[in-house]
Order: sequence, then C-alpha cells, then structure tokens
Amino acid sequence: MSLERAAIAANRFGFGATPGLLQKIKSDPRGWLLEQIARDVPVPPPIASLPPTGADHLAFPLVRRLALPREGYGTDEQRQPAMEPRMQGQQGAGMQGEAGQGLALIARMRTARMSAALAARFETAIQTASPFRERLVHFWSNHFVVSAAKATAFAMPASFERDVARKHVGHRFEAMLVASTKHPAMLFYLDNYLSIGPNSQWARDPSRVPVVSQGVGRPQGLNENLAREILELHTIGVNGGYTQADVTNFAKVITGWGYDLRQRRAGDLAAVARRSADDVFYFNAAAHEPGPQVVLGKTYAGDGVEKGLSVLRDLARLPQVAEFVARKLARHFIADEPPAAAVASLARAFRNSDGDLPSVYRALVEAPEAWDPSLRKTKRPEEFLVSTMRALGGPKLEGAHLLRLLQQMGQPAFSPSGPDGWPDNGAFWSGADALWKRIEWATLAAERQAPARPDPAALAVDVLGPLVSEKTLAEIRRAESPEQGLALFLVSPEFMRR
Amino acid sequence: MSLVDRRKVLAGIGTATFIAASGAPGAMASTATAGNKLVVVFLRGAMDGLHVFPAYADPDFVRERQGLAMPGPGQAGGSLALDGFFGIDPLMPQLREMYVSREMLLVHAIASPYRSRSHFDAQHLLENGTTAPYGADTGWLNRALVGLPSRGRDIGVSVTSSMPVMMQGPAMVTNWSPSALPQPNAELLDRLGSLYETDIPLREALENAKAANAAVLERAGTGFPSLLRAAASFLNSATGPRVAFLELGGFDSHANQNAQLGALQRNLKAIDEGVAAFRKAMGAEWSRTAILFVTEFGRTVAMNGSNGTDHGTAGAAFLLGGAVNGGRVIADWPGLKPAQQLEGRDLKPTADLRALFKAVLRDHLGVPPERLEQDVFPSSNIARPFDSLFRRT
Repeated sequence: MSLERAAIAANRFGFGATPGLLQKIKSDPRGWLLEQIARDVPVPPPIASLPPTGADHLAFPLVRRLALPREGYGTDEQRQPAMEPRMQGQQGAGMQGEAGQGLALIARMRTARMSAALAARFETAIQTASPFRERLVHFWSNHFVVSAAKATAFAMPASFERDVARKHVGHRFEAMLVASTKHPAMLFYLDNYLSIGPNSQWARDPSRVPVVSQGVGRPQGLNENLAREILELHTIGVNGGYTQADVTNFAKVITGWGYDLRQRRAGDLAAVARRSADDVFYFNAAAHEPGPQVVLGKTYAGDGVEKGLSVLRDLARLPQVAEFVARKLARHFIADEPPAAAVASLARAFRNSDGDLPSVYRALVEAPEAWDPSLRKTKRPEEFLVSTMRALGGPKLEGAHLLRLLQQMGQPAFSPSGPDGWPDNGAFWSGADALWKRIEWATLAAERQAPARPDPAALAVDVLGPLVSEKTLAEIRRAESPEQGLALFLVSPEFMRR
Repeated sequence: MSLVDRRKVLAGIGTATFIAASGAPGAMASTATAGNKLVVVFLRGAMDGLHVFPAYADPDFVRERQGLAMPGPGQAGGSLALDGFFGIDPLMPQLREMYVSREMLLVHAIASPYRSRSHFDAQHLLENGTTAPYGADTGWLNRALVGLPSRGRDIGVSVTSSMPVMMQGPAMVTNWSPSALPQPNAELLDRLGSLYETDIPLREALENAKAANAAVLERAGTGFPSLLRAAASFLNSATGPRVAFLELGGFDSHANQNAQLGALQRNLKAIDEGVAAFRKAMGAEWSRTAILFVTEFGRTVAMNGSNGTDHGTAGAAFLLGGAVNGGRVIADWPGLKPAQQLEGRDLKPTADLRALFKAVLRDHLGVPPERLEQDVFPSSNIARPFDSLFRRT
C-alpha cells in the first residue's frame, strides 16, 4: 500500500521515479510531496546560469534589426556583442545589410538560445530532488504562457518562466498574475507595448510616438490582445462573465504598460543586459488612457500604474478564478475530466487562503481522488522524455538534439501554438503518430542505456512499483535482449501514463 | 480517445452514428463520389480575409482599411484581380492561375456560428461542428466519414503530430508526421502488439501508425508544401485514406501585418507553393480532388494601433481542385461602411461556413443529407448547403 502511494507520488505528482526513489519515500509519500512546496527555494543552478531577463529582452530588437536592416536602429551593433558573447563570431555576417544573411543569423541565434534554455530545463527536471515543485513550475508556465511560436519572442520564454512561474510558484496567485502582466516578455508577446490610449498624450500628438520598426511604424491606438487573454486565459476564463466592453476598458487601463522603446537611452548596454524583469518594466504615462474605466462593474480611477494593479488584485480574488485554477490543476494532476469533489476542495482552499498557492497544492495532495491507482493521464512528450531519462539515467542529449526531438514528438520546445498553452487531455497526445514517435525514441534510448540498465524487469518494478502489471512484466521478461526489454518498458501503458 | 469518451459522444449525437460505426452500411453514398478525395486545411490564428482577398473595388475599402489597404491590380504591390471586385495577394500567383483556369473558388464574408472573439473557443466550435465551443468532443469531419466507402482500414489521415478535434471521433482515421528518429524494428512492433492486447486505445494507435508509416515511402520534410506532398502520397496509395487534414498556424496578425518577411507573408507563399506541388503530385487524380482552406474567424476591418488587425468575425474560405466548379467568388457582400460592419468593427458575416462544409461533404464525398443534419452538423438547418460548387461528372 505504501509502496503504491510512493509510486503514485513519484509518477503522478513528479517526473517519474529514479531507481531507488520509491524505497526512499515509501514511509511517507505524502510528506515527501508536502515538503517540496515551501514558499521560496534557491533557483536551480542550470536555470541560474541562463542569460538574465535584460539580455533576453535585448535580443528581440536585435532580431528586428537583422530581419529589417533598414529600419533605423542601426547604431548599437558595435556594442551588441557585450550582451551576446556567444554570437560574437557571427555578428559581422548579419550586419552587412542583407536580409537573407540576417535571417540565417537569427536562425542560429534562435537555436543557440533555445537549446541552452531547453538543456537547462531538462537538466533541472531530471536532477531535481523536488520533482513535484518542478512539475508545478511547468504547470504555471503553461498557464501564463509566452510562446516562441511568435518568431521574435524566441528569446523570452526561459526568463519569463524563471521570473513568473518559478519565482512565484510558492506565493499567492495574485503575485504571479502581476509578475506575468508586468513582464516584458508578456507585454511583448501579447502586444501591449504597442497599445496607446485613444485620448492619451501620444494619441493627441502622434509625432511624439517613436517608430518601433519599419513594419510597425508608430503605434497609433489601442491593442486589446493582452487584456482579453488575461480575462479569458489567466483569470476568470472564457465563461467568467465578461463582455467586449470589459475587454476594451481593461485594455485602456493597462495602456502605457510596456518597456522603454528607446532602449539606447541607457548608455551602458552591458548594464542594461543585467536588468531584472522589474527593472525593464516601464510605465509610459504619455501612452496611458486618462480617466476612470469600468471593468466588470467596478470603476477604477486614477492615472497611474496603480489603476491596473487594482484591477489585477480584484480579478485575482474573484470566485471564478478559484474555480478556474482548481479545475485546471486537478485536470493536470488527476484526470482529463477531474473529479468534482477534488475540484471543489481545491477551489475552497484557494478561496479560504486568498489564493495562497501552497495551500491549494496541499489540498491537491490531500484529495483522496488524487491517489486513485488507475492511471488516467497520458504523459505529454516532454514529461515522457524526462521520465525516461530519470529511469534510465540517460541518454544525456545536447540542447539542440532535445529541440529536434520535441519538435518530432509534437511538442516543440517553448512553442505552444497560442497563449492558451499546451492541451491537457489524453486524446490530443495519444494519436498514432504520438505513439510511433515514442516507440522510435524508446528504441534509441534503450540502445544507448542498455549497458547501464541490464535488467529491464527489475527496473520496471523499481520505478513503477505495484503500478506495473504482471502482463507487462511478463512481456519485458520475454524480450529477446535487454534493449528490447527496455524499449517495451518505456512504451508500456503503465510508463506512458501516470 | 477512450471508449468512455466515445460512448458519451455517441449518446449525445444520436444513434445513427453508432449503427454506422458498428459496421452496418450507412445510407448509400453515390458511387459517383466513391473515388473522390478531400483535403481540409485549417489556417489557425484567424486569417485576415480582407488582406488575402482584398475587396479593392469596394468604394469604402481604402478609407475603412486605412494603412493596410492593399493597392488594386496594376498598381505597385497591388493585388492580382479575381473577378473585378476582389483580388488575391500577389504572393499567391499560382492560386490565381487556378482561379483563371476555373479550379479555384472563393467564398467571402463567411463565418462559423461563433460570435465572440476567442481563438480557442472559435477553433473548437469550428472543429466540433456544433454551435458551442466544447459542444461535442468529436469533430465534424470525422463524423462525416462514418459509413462512407473506404479503400483500406483508415478513411482519413491527419498530417499532424497530434490528433486535432476535427478528426477525432468514431470513424477510422490515423495521423502521421515526418520523423528523423530511428525506425523501430518489426520484432519490437510484434511484441508491442502483444503488450497492447488488452489496451484498446494503444492497440488501435499502433495499428494506425504501422499503416501510415507503410504508406509514405520517402522521408518527408516538415514545411507545409512537404506535408501537402505527403498528403498526396497517402491519397494516391491504393489502400490509403481518401480524406486528409492539415493545419497551418501563424495567422494572428495583431502587429506589423504588412511586413515583407512576416509570418502572414511566409504562410501565403507556403500555401501557393504547397497547392501547386500537391496538384502536381496528385497527377490524374487531381480531377477528383478538392482542397478546402478555412480559418476560425476574420479580423477587424480597420487597422489597429500596431499596423495589424484584431480579432473579428467574417473572413474568407477557399476551395481548390480539379473537381471544383471554380473561377467564381461567392459573396453576398455586406459592404464596408461603418454602419455595415458588425459592431462597427468587423466584416459582417453573410454566409455560414457550415453551408460550405455541408456542400463539400454532400456533393464531393456523397454524405447523405440526413446524416449531415443529424450527426455531422446538428441544429444547422439555417445553413443550407451551397449548390453547384463541383463540376458535374
């Protein structure tokens, strides 16, 4: 019984067991999960070694310059290597003014940055002693999403995840919502940096508005993209009871939330590259729509950043948010159609604690439905890969290889197609092609790791405990080689689900 | 999809589907359509119909469209003329040639029944075929295939790495996407067949994957034209599927929509190249083929503050193929004056996408009209199918 609970704790709440883990935690699986949800922990070293937010943020004006070399940013290039040390050797080629060469350079920069970020994400998930906490970080960075599917946003998802999901995973929901909304990655991804109040100073005197790029030109008016997605995807949900007027008014409230479009203003670019997300955030009063706005029936007055913060604080407290977050968490950890009792219990914990996330996680761990031994969730490709590497102790792949692998398996790294993130249902992830790619991966991983894991049946019992069926064990034992046995284990129903 | 899900869907949609799915023949499909092939391409992110197919001759077009108004035919950077009123983006010259040779048909000012502006809800509704997002957890295209003549075990293939809602459901379909990983050996596959013996979803997925990988002989690339060529090899296989689904994302042009190298421009070029490559790959079978391009909604008529457009309502859909009675634009044009726009911002819908879908399914695939109304598009009486979209054979 306790071994079964240990297996559920490691597989359903974590990234799968490493050999020996179940024995280590079987005396108190629940306690093992609860001790992982402390308020603050140090940033894991692989993540801490990634470029700071300021450097990520500086990468996309650079991208625009390269893609559209005539757009008139042209004076920073000589100083750019300070932020992009690894790009120094390639810098010259992109600066010769040919768009084609610029695009090739962007492609190389994209691969370099995204592989480094992905390798760090994998290393952390594989090595972590707190896999439940790490899963929660991944959960939240799939709730507040900045996707590299928007080509010029490729530099941002890693620092966004660190500054929003990782930083606030043990805090209150409101803190994460505010951090997301003020983050330069989100303000860029959902276009708010271009949004200008129709009666703002800039709207009255458009000649003062800086040219963003040759293509965008001078921003001229309201852009409601971020406001809509905060309501629909981040807080109360599409059925949360808002109207088009709420979207438009909320968009007006957060006009001016962005970052300084004239980054060159700061002389020392190396210092700019070290800036945190909070440092990069900039409230531009000249673009802000003056006067009170009504959002969800409440009037918000004042003309500063505080007006938007008030809306976010009020949004975070609406009962729809507790319900929305509770359902999404329960769906992620328990079942595609989460049990109503578990959802109600999580929502209650959210409301009673004013959105204190560790209290909600505790309710999840304490929900009896979360410990049902039937495996109702299909692992997503990234989870599946991490769990195979944890069980097999490898293979250790370079970031660029991981990028290609995830692309092949249908979950390109940091790149869900839209701001709603990756789907969280088995039907989406268990088509024929998904299975085929897992079989192909299992073939490759088993070949590499068979020397390190010569007894696949023993490994299956070690990491899945009582969750592995007699039938699966028998098939693994009948395999003609350790390689084949390992491959069968990796694509067994019990290992692909949790 | 699990069996439980499937039962629930069947209960919701009606019993006709269940009878057909369990092996009894559906209502007789015309033998004239039994060899026809269909490709549906979902352009995700809301393609701007007024950009790709500008109504250049509308007297209000330039004023209402503001800085995004594409110049008319004959001007620098201008559209290519279709019918004297609508043009097509100059990045799509091969599509325009197909229009001239009467193999392409455009429907403008068309929308699904959805009237809010969320991509995700709109896409789900468009795919599930009901009038509500999440109104069913299967797709209309899958349900339409139940009971139609199939040449092999799968009647449809989704050329995607995961199964989209539009293709989920009771009919036998598979999915496939290109791979650069090592191929598993036959011995392992046999043993997996045994391992999955009692796990029906995995057993079905394995059989489908084996069949799909047998059909595509050469290693395919990942660009949209390559995927369309792979679709052609499925459709040309003697025992392969007759219906293919593809998707292309990146149409959410909130900013900088007229960029020279923007996502929209790259997509339009990929469509133009892809359709031309597909047409060539289909060979003689092109005459029995149709490709339908749809998107979840259109975009605002006017430019937003960022040289882009925001989420709107009506947009454009287009149909190509040797079987298509093309060279025409179907549009009950609502006009572009502010008072003619929906809520003063969007192109007003005057046609229902379900009317287009029903016409394609009825006249090209031979889906019986009563099944269209009961199982495929429930509560869609108001959307009467278009007539004469296809050539008489």
